[in-house]
Amino acid sequence: MNKKLSRNQTFLLITVPVLALFFCFNTLPLIKGLMYSFTNFKGFGSYDWVGMRNYADLFTDARVGKSYLFTFKFALVATILTNVIALLLALGLNGKIRAKSALRGVYFVPRILGGLVVGYIFGYIFTYILPAITGGSSMLSNTGTAWIAIVIVAAWQSIAQTTLIYISGLQTVPEDVYEAGAIDGATGWKSFKELTFPLIIPFFSINMVLSMKDFLMVFDQIMALTKGGPAQSTESISYLIYNNGMGGGQFGFQSANAVIFFIVIVAISVFQLNFTGKKEEQL
Amino acid sequence: MKKRFFATALVAAMLIGTVLSASGCSSESSDGKTHITMLQYKPEAVKAFEKMEAEFNATHDDIVLKIESPNDAMTVLKTRFIKEDAPDIIGIGGDVNFSNFLDADMLMDISDFEGLSLIKQAYLDIDKNLEFVPMDGVYAVPYVANAAGVLYNREMFQDNGWEIPTTWQEFMDLCEEIKASGQQPLYFGFKDVWTCLAPWNALACDLAPADVCRQVNKGETKFIDEYPEVAEKMLELLDHAQNDPFAYNYNDACTAFANGESAMYCIGSYAVPQIQSVNPDMDIDSFVMPGCDNEKDNILNSGVDLQFCVTNECKNKEAAYEVLSFLLEDSTIQTYLDDQNAVPCKDTEFKLSPALDGMLDYINEGRVVDYQDHYYPAEMSVDAQIQTFLLDGNVEKFLNKFDTDWVRYNRDIIRKVQEYEEKGGNE
Amino acid sequence: MKQKNKVAATTNWPLTILLILGCVTVIFPLYMAIVIAFKKPSEMTNDIGGALSLPKSFSLENFAEAMRVTDFWHSLGYSVLITVATVVLAILLHSLAGYAIGRSMAKSKFYKVSYLYIVSGMFVPFAILMMPLVKQTAQMGVDNWFGVILCYLVFYMPMNVMLYTGYLKNIPIALEEAAFVDGATTWQTYWKVIFPIMGPMHATVAVLTALGTWNDVMTPLVIMSGTGANTLPLAQLTFQTQFGTNYNLAFASYLLALLPILIFYLVCQKQIINGVVNGAVK
Repeated sequence: MNKKLSRNQTFLLITVPVLALFFCFNTLPLIKGLMYSFTNFKGFGSYDWVGMRNYADLFTDARVGKSYLFTFKFALVATILTNVIALLLALGLNGKIRAKSALRGVYFVPRILGGLVVGYIFGYIFTYILPAITGGSSMLSNTGTAWIAIVIVAAWQSIAQTTLIYISGLQTVPEDVYEAGAIDGATGWKSFKELTFPLIIPFFSINMVLSMKDFLMVFDQIMALTKGGPAQSTESISYLIYNNGMGGGQFGFQSANAVIFFIVIVAISVFQLNFTGKKEEQL
Repeated sequence: MKKRFFATALVAAMLIGTVLSASGCSSESSDGKTHITMLQYKPEAVKAFEKMEAEFNATHDDIVLKIESPNDAMTVLKTRFIKEDAPDIIGIGGDVNFSNFLDADMLMDISDFEGLSLIKQAYLDIDKNLEFVPMDGVYAVPYVANAAGVLYNREMFQDNGWEIPTTWQEFMDLCEEIKASGQQPLYFGFKDVWTCLAPWNALACDLAPADVCRQVNKGETKFIDEYPEVAEKMLELLDHAQNDPFAYNYNDACTAFANGESAMYCIGSYAVPQIQSVNPDMDIDSFVMPGCDNEKDNILNSGVDLQFCVTNECKNKEAAYEVLSFLLEDSTIQTYLDDQNAVPCKDTEFKLSPALDGMLDYINEGRVVDYQDHYYPAEMSVDAQIQTFLLDGNVEKFLNKFDTDWVRYNRDIIRKVQEYEEKGGNE
Repeated sequence: MKQKNKVAATTNWPLTILLILGCVTVIFPLYMAIVIAFKKPSEMTNDIGGALSLPKSFSLENFAEAMRVTDFWHSLGYSVLITVATVVLAILLHSLAGYAIGRSMAKSKFYKVSYLYIVSGMFVPFAILMMPLVKQTAQMGVDNWFGVILCYLVFYMPMNVMLYTGYLKNIPIALEEAAFVDGATTWQTYWKVIFPIMGPMHATVAVLTALGTWNDVMTPLVIMSGTGANTLPLAQLTFQTQFGTNYNLAFASYLLALLPILIFYLVCQKQIINGVVNGAVK
């Protein structure tokens, strides 16, 4: 390398290997996965091409349909719950309190813990501690309540980060906004609705996009808490793809499911980004 | 400054890597010996296999045996197959995974292995039945079997003067009697869906034809005609369960049974070590699930829990056979039995766990039938379907869905079976 | 300044107390884990008093056994190795990529497409890549910790490249031009000028990548299978085998698996919190 490289050459020399690496470990397997979605591949051994059969089946498979319904219901409720609690918590933690940083530190702890282990611990609490306190039965054993338990655990973990983002949003609101508002008689809920919230809308939309995407891909919590039960009422799409694709012999079929899931996630994200696009640019 | 920090961190990380890899894998086979790797799927038996491995290597100079017992072994094994890096010998259960591996041409015909003559015919038949379509040759050495039925607390039974039931009516009466005495007859861990299969299999052995799945694949019958009694008796069992059986998992149920919270527990003999880990002094015995109205019609539910197969990728068949012969030696089997609660498939007398006392006659007479779920495709999740059914109690809805799902999940197999039938294949 | 004093003077005590009480929701699960980890199987009962009560003795027996069962030090070693190497390489590689792409995106279609191509990788579910990746890493001979690192470098590339290009927009190009005038190449300019300036973003990338890789189970499970090596979360699967769950041992092991990152959090709390916020907001 005697000759000096031009700026563009340097950039190209950086970008091409990176793209190659990315292609090799992302696009190539994706293409192979797409290919398998047209086969009855079990994951090993010999297989046959089955054309569009997997896709046709996908749309008539009650179990797949149920898992999509569950995943969306779960993601929607968890997103709303997480954001409401996180916003309240952020307002509190941003208030005139003592031990502010210590409290913030404690509330952030759930974010750093691994989802699987957290799920195991909560599983024990739902099975033994809660029924003993309430005198009822375990939430996890009832098809009507098991999904709520998963919402609780997923929210418990994700509230930490969401709160933090709201706090940083609230800190961008200058103090004099409130003072000006107070003169106009805006306090409490009114002050929040009319002054604070409009100012933190960009943070609100970020949180909505981030939590929605995470919740749609929910896996660890289900693996640890219910394994899709009771009565297959909590099978998320990711869980079904993993469980039947790797564990069962449905690799080809579940590849087709994954392809559809990929398209759905892209579609939702594009929609959300378009929806909030203008606000994002303000940042 | 920053740069140096990064460089240091990276070097340190790579150093750990080298150290770990160096300690991780032993020196490669430049020693002129034959290396045989084996992967077995029972992590709870790892101690027994470590002993067996050491014993083998101490007595064989030319072959080095390495036994792996990873967690989540079936995933590991499948990924090894995908990688085309299969171990020489695999120790798996006689279940649908075996059928699938066989169907995908992963296993070697070992019909010329002499040790096969030492195995009880009943277990060889069970393995034969697991082939989707009958194949030429033998592909597995059944090693140990387990049995499922009802475990009971011998001390509680003696204290209360309860008797072992031999018919369904006696069983239900006993449950009532136990309940009337203020104690808990049964405990279930139905949160883990697979535990639903334990009583299901045991009842299905008594009440449905052993080859019902094969008959359905041939189009000769339907599950709705064969399974209603099994399903109804499952619901009857549920009446005698603890409060909210779907809240507790396998471990919880074992713990509760070990602590004397219930008199009986419908599960397989494989649960005994787990139960005794909670209460080492517990006196456990078992009896065959009395699903029929006549003692003579009851059959013990017993399947191959562990069998050894040689994979197609094994390069040294002779060495693999040497390992198999070693595993079949009486002393090796006893090592395994001392650690695990199992029934050997070898046709020799062994000292069995007292927890199998009540099943012994059936075992010796060969009155055994394989687990029905060994024929169910894993992705159909029959266990979860049974759980669903137990929660809503609708027999007809459950079995209709069973029939529809069966056709859907098995269509490639059904096609194969029917092609085979058309070609005039016969059993 | 005056206002600050006023704020401190009028502490909202009810709110403070409410928030302190709220901490129970965070601490209670951890308390449960600790209590169970110290008990013996025979001390476990299915009722409330027994479940909540403190263990009879604080013996470290369960922990010692858990460390043996999970081969703790080896597993920890692999976790540290994979996380540290991934983080360091991610910072070096992704920042470079972010720089090259970010500085050329506006002018060149190639880079614009490259950017969208990489960022769109964010939406690919891991499930679809899993099985082909297993086969591929094995064929390439990297079905080990090194392959796991390569996979992580690709999985985190979309997010990190997006973060770096975003951050780069705030760094005026004039800074670089000054260096060019002195005769430095683009490469030299990057390391001398841009790389240090992106310090805050390095911290963010480090924190986000580290949290993700440290807690991940699936990738090492499928890629490292059969090498006999475990990461710390992977080792916890030992307690999920159908026929061998022992809550006390398992919880002792869970705590051991949580401990390193908790300690790390206590030490670098500020950086971690800032990192996570920047990652989401930038």
